[in-house]
Amino acid sequence: MPATPLAKSAFLMAVLVIAALLGWESFLRSKGYQLGYNDDEALWYKNRQEVYQPSETTTVFIGSSRIKFDLDIPTWEKTTGEKAVQLAVAGSDPKLTLDNLANDDKFKGKLVIDITEGLFFRPQDDAAITKRLKYLKEATPSQKFSAQVGFGLESQLLFLDKDMFSLGALLDQLKIPNRSGVNNTPIFPTKFTYTNFRRQEIMTNEFVHDTAMQNKVKGIWTIYGALEKRHGITGDTLQKIFTEVKTDIARIKARGGKVIFTRTPSSGGYRELELKNYPRAEYFDQLLYVSGCNGIYFTDYPELKDFICPECSHLTPPDAVKYTTALIKILDQNKWFTPHAN
Amino acid sequence: MVFNSYTFIVFFIIILILHNLPFSWKTKKVNLLLASYIFYAAWNPPFILLLWLSTVVDFFVGRALYTQNNIHKKRLLLVISLIGNLGMLCFFKYGGFLLDNFVTIVNAVGWKFHPAKPNIILPAGISFYTFTTLCYTIDMYEKKSKPVKSMLDFSLFVTFFPHLVAGPIVRPPQLVPQFESPRKATQQQLLEGFFLISLGLFMKVLLADSMLSATANDIFGSTNKLPALDAWMGVLAFSGQIFFDFAGYSTCAIGVAACLGFVLPQNFLYPYAAIGFSDFWRRWHITLSAWLRDYLYIPMGGNRKGKLRTYINLMVTMLLGGLWHGANWTFVVWGGLHGFYLWVEKAIADIRKDKVRPIATTPSGEVGVLGPLPETFKPKTFRNFSIALFTFFLINVTWVFFRASTFTKAWDLLQSMFGFVSKAEPLLTNLAIIKVIVIVSCMVIAHWLMRNTRVLEVIPKLSWWFFGTVWAVMLILLIWSQESSSSFIYFQF
Repeated sequence: MPATPLAKSAFLMAVLVIAALLGWESFLRSKGYQLGYNDDEALWYKNRQEVYQPSETTTVFIGSSRIKFDLDIPTWEKTTGEKAVQLAVAGSDPKLTLDNLANDDKFKGKLVIDITEGLFFRPQDDAAITKRLKYLKEATPSQKFSAQVGFGLESQLLFLDKDMFSLGALLDQLKIPNRSGVNNTPIFPTKFTYTNFRRQEIMTNEFVHDTAMQNKVKGIWTIYGALEKRHGITGDTLQKIFTEVKTDIARIKARGGKVIFTRTPSSGGYRELELKNYPRAEYFDQLLYVSGCNGIYFTDYPELKDFICPECSHLTPPDAVKYTTALIKILDQNKWFTPHAN
Repeated sequence: MVFNSYTFIVFFIIILILHNLPFSWKTKKVNLLLASYIFYAAWNPPFILLLWLSTVVDFFVGRALYTQNNIHKKRLLLVISLIGNLGMLCFFKYGGFLLDNFVTIVNAVGWKFHPAKPNIILPAGISFYTFTTLCYTIDMYEKKSKPVKSMLDFSLFVTFFPHLVAGPIVRPPQLVPQFESPRKATQQQLLEGFFLISLGLFMKVLLADSMLSATANDIFGSTNKLPALDAWMGVLAFSGQIFFDFAGYSTCAIGVAACLGFVLPQNFLYPYAAIGFSDFWRRWHITLSAWLRDYLYIPMGGNRKGKLRTYINLMVTMLLGGLWHGANWTFVVWGGLHGFYLWVEKAIADIRKDKVRPIATTPSGEVGVLGPLPETFKPKTFRNFSIALFTFFLINVTWVFFRASTFTKAWDLLQSMFGFVSKAEPLLTNLAIIKVIVIVSCMVIAHWLMRNTRVLEVIPKLSWWFFGTVWAVMLILLIWSQESSSSFIYFQF
């Protein structure tokens, strides 16, 4: 036993800390939570480094949350024998990522851009992407090493999921009333989804079967304004976006790369409002026309058009497998897996 | 490398093992030096060249300054050292600022000049290690201490990783003698060191980053008109954030050094319990205020050349102290406000004929621009607590200029704080407000209760199980907060 009072204190501290952490970890596991990774800039950076894999055997995906849920990476890689790199970021606009890839002369690969109109057709730069691109440019050797250690710990410890189980996240879940005009950031149910190491977003089994949680998420879409009737941007602002996207895509194609757009499924009231706010002919189809790329719009294909999203916006894991399988077939018809055919 | 990172944990474990293996003392010092370079290079490897340049130039110039008897040659050597050190600092830290001001002036007189924006990256900690090396060469010029005999010891003095990037700013006599004989932490030192590291990280990671930074960022980043409540909460949040961030770093640095058997000077002594502004500068960033006192205020004449010169010297010291923090006029105004507060305080002391001893005779170890604390401020009376609260209030006003990126933003915020804004829109959630009120109140009370003591003096007075439990709670909250790897605010200075 330690002899001095300070040594006794240190011993007690160590015992209490280990007991508390083990207890917290065991409690979370007993509640059925899944091990996941923090989908932060370090994990994005790790995946961003994969875009330089041989271009003939790698497809990079950018977009918002839908493609993260809907693309099942194991299915993709097993079926095609090719690698999938997921660079989409939830709730974000991928145009800055597209621009970054377009300006990276080393990237000569295949790129799938998934469109969520409400996020893609907005003029301002996206903070979440800006943060990741800053990390890509400025990450120090120390940050990169810390990230590797962090990945190792996150692969073993459930409580390290910052968005769900950190002190700040738990405090945010307290329902403290606010002054008029101030709103809390909406809190997603903790059992909505988790992120794996390849940055695939996976809806939990509990969520798939719990309509109360699904309705809560639908309510969050309302708070974010996704279910408001409000026509999307038009005029010069929209044209500027088309021009910039066209320029970026031309640069990638000039290096031998391939680009295709996808529109992943949405359903219910969310889908209806998206069609009203962003009529396909004015936005998605015009984007294809201006950029000279092909596009896969889910309603155009019998095998894609009937998916139901539990919370109107994302697919369940079994549906993600089906969607990915069907997408691969359609891409194959577009000669996606044929070298230099674009 | 930052203390609040997994990289540092791995790095420090390796260093501790190496330092406790049966190597010769010279080998251990070489290990520490290499480790310090790795610590620095883990941020941006090329900038290590600047560190080497500064070290080599100052080692040889310092020695020559000490031995040179020809006053002209001596002055020339000093100028070389000053140009070398301050030149680097000016280029990297103030290059863009000087160019901006030059452009503003020449455009104002009608000469259209629009140069490209310089893309200069500020090397981490350059202000700190420049001041460390500067004090060495100035000491050599004045023969205040003897030159460091070995290049290894001098390099380690400049580069020793616990203090390298954000202080405490050490003087040669404080650290160099510690390198001359073998040092290894006792069990007591090691455990105290671990506790200080835990405390420092608790302050930085949990309190500064997890609890307060978002509120400060929201308020200082807002472009809307804000109600007084929100404005004050934002400023108080920053007040807490900057203390916990910087004092947390210093506490970690002292703890890391202690684990290796070294002692670094204190940098903070519960500054928000300060009674007046000379007391504040005895307690806030102590090693910087002592540096400014000894290498700027006193050489300018201090208070030895009459009252008017004292006031001027005081203001110049504070203005330059403000500019040291950042290349922006807002920092100069921050320093100027502190200078003004010190003027008022000194004027009151002069009128009351308080017996504040002249700065030049301040006993070694006591710091602060205006000398030791008057006896009347030592007791913890209600009167003194009220003055401390008023001081804290005025300090918060100065933080507005420190944190705001522009004068417009600072002015908007001051108007909000004092209720001169109509149709303001509330911004902060009640949870954010509760966090600020609880943490800042606890901070001020803790500072008041601890103002005449130090944390390591309090620990032996607590029962071992109580202290062990407090330590555990702190570490659990630290791990639970999961705010790793964000940089320290003072890294940018």
